[in-house]
Amino acid sequence: MSNKTITFKILRQDGPNQPSYWETFVIPYLPNSNVISCLMDIQKNPINSEGKKVRPVVWECNCLEEVCGTCTMVINGKTRQSCSALIDKLMQPITLQPLSKFPVVRDLAVDRSRMFEALKRVKAWVPMDGYHDLGPGDKILPDHQGVAYKLSECMTCGCCVEACPQYSRDNNFLGAAAISQARLFNMHPTGKLIANERLDSLMDDGGIAACGNAQNCVEVCPKSIPLTESIAEMGRQSSKRFWKTLFQI
Amino acid sequence: MNSHFFARRVHSLTGIIPVGLFLVYHLYTQLYLHQGAEKYNEHTNAFYESPLAIWLLIIFVYIPLFYHSILGAKLSIEATPQPSYHYFSHLLYWLQRISGIGVLLFIFAHLYNTKVMPLMTDTYGQHFEHLAEGFASAETGWLTKSVYLLGILGATFHFANGINTFCMTWGLALTPRAQLRVRVLSIIVFVLLTAVALYSLSAIW
Repeated sequence: MSNKTITFKILRQDGPNQPSYWETFVIPYLPNSNVISCLMDIQKNPINSEGKKVRPVVWECNCLEEVCGTCTMVINGKTRQSCSALIDKLMQPITLQPLSKFPVVRDLAVDRSRMFEALKRVKAWVPMDGYHDLGPGDKILPDHQGVAYKLSECMTCGCCVEACPQYSRDNNFLGAAAISQARLFNMHPTGKLIANERLDSLMDDGGIAACGNAQNCVEVCPKSIPLTESIAEMGRQSSKRFWKTLFQI
Repeated sequence: MNSHFFARRVHSLTGIIPVGLFLVYHLYTQLYLHQGAEKYNEHTNAFYESPLAIWLLIIFVYIPLFYHSILGAKLSIEATPQPSYHYFSHLLYWLQRISGIGVLLFIFAHLYNTKVMPLMTDTYGQHFEHLAEGFASAETGWLTKSVYLLGILGATFHFANGINTFCMTWGLALTPRAQLRVRVLSIIVFVLLTAVALYSLSAIW
């Protein structure tokens, strides 16, 4: 075994609304490890670089294959999933910070319920009025399915809003993920039934108009979802609704 | 639709129509600088002879420009810096905000130079002489030249990049390919307008 080490600088916080502080951990190097396997090592033996035994670092993770989005954090200044952040490809010391756009629960765990609220605001679902047999659904053509599948890969991880200069703790912007989900359900044959309700939410406070076109969202999206295309598409749909309502009043 | 959405759409629209179009017209008329003081003054003063001139300016330039600037400045201040993300569009995002505020300051200096000062010294109408003297001044000429250069670059950039974001906001360019085409168009507009402006200025440099 080599005596190489991995150094982590972790921004910690003991609880909600507590002050944050940096703590350094040095752990033995293991080949092919990722940020989560290192956090597990720290958890087993939570001794910081000063040799003091401290409270183990808290983080969230689930799937470990970049499809659930739970383990998203800011690694070396950039938002990404920690499961797919391979140590061998990272500059040391590796800095870990919680997502800055959400309230911290503890250490690297944040409360992303604002993203869930955003999905509720844009009614990101297919409306059903019961469990009775509604007959076969509409046919979906392959080209439609190709677009929809890509959009459906969104895991609400929060990368897009973390990198967004328009999304902040003190505003109510929906963010790229919710706008893209509104597009997904507005193109679904049954989801379309409440397309205008979704547009009304997008045209409300903190809706699509709060987008500033920085396009960081599409650059950092780990699923390569065409978020700027989604924003432009919903911009087009809301433009149509804008002119329509303007001349109806 | 609520007032926020409406305000942002009007903000986006006023940037192109009428303020952007005014910029194009304004840069075009500066080509008269090459035809000498008499022609330039004659052409500029001819516009103000119309009884509608002042109203046209107020309705199609001053009010939309004022609205676009105030809301734009407010939005710029509200943005959250994200310094660790170095992407080209993100750079344009900040340049758009910085150039917007810079151009607003330039407009004040420009209005003082071409309207307020001539009116105070009772020499209004000699537009060419004011510009040329400002540029030729031994003490402050370099400053005036730099301010005009930055102001023009800021304005042409802000307008050209604004075409890009306008097409995004209103959903005119959907796919990444369409957005790339619009970006190429905006680069052409930027180069063309800047070239026209610099050529005009070369007459009195």
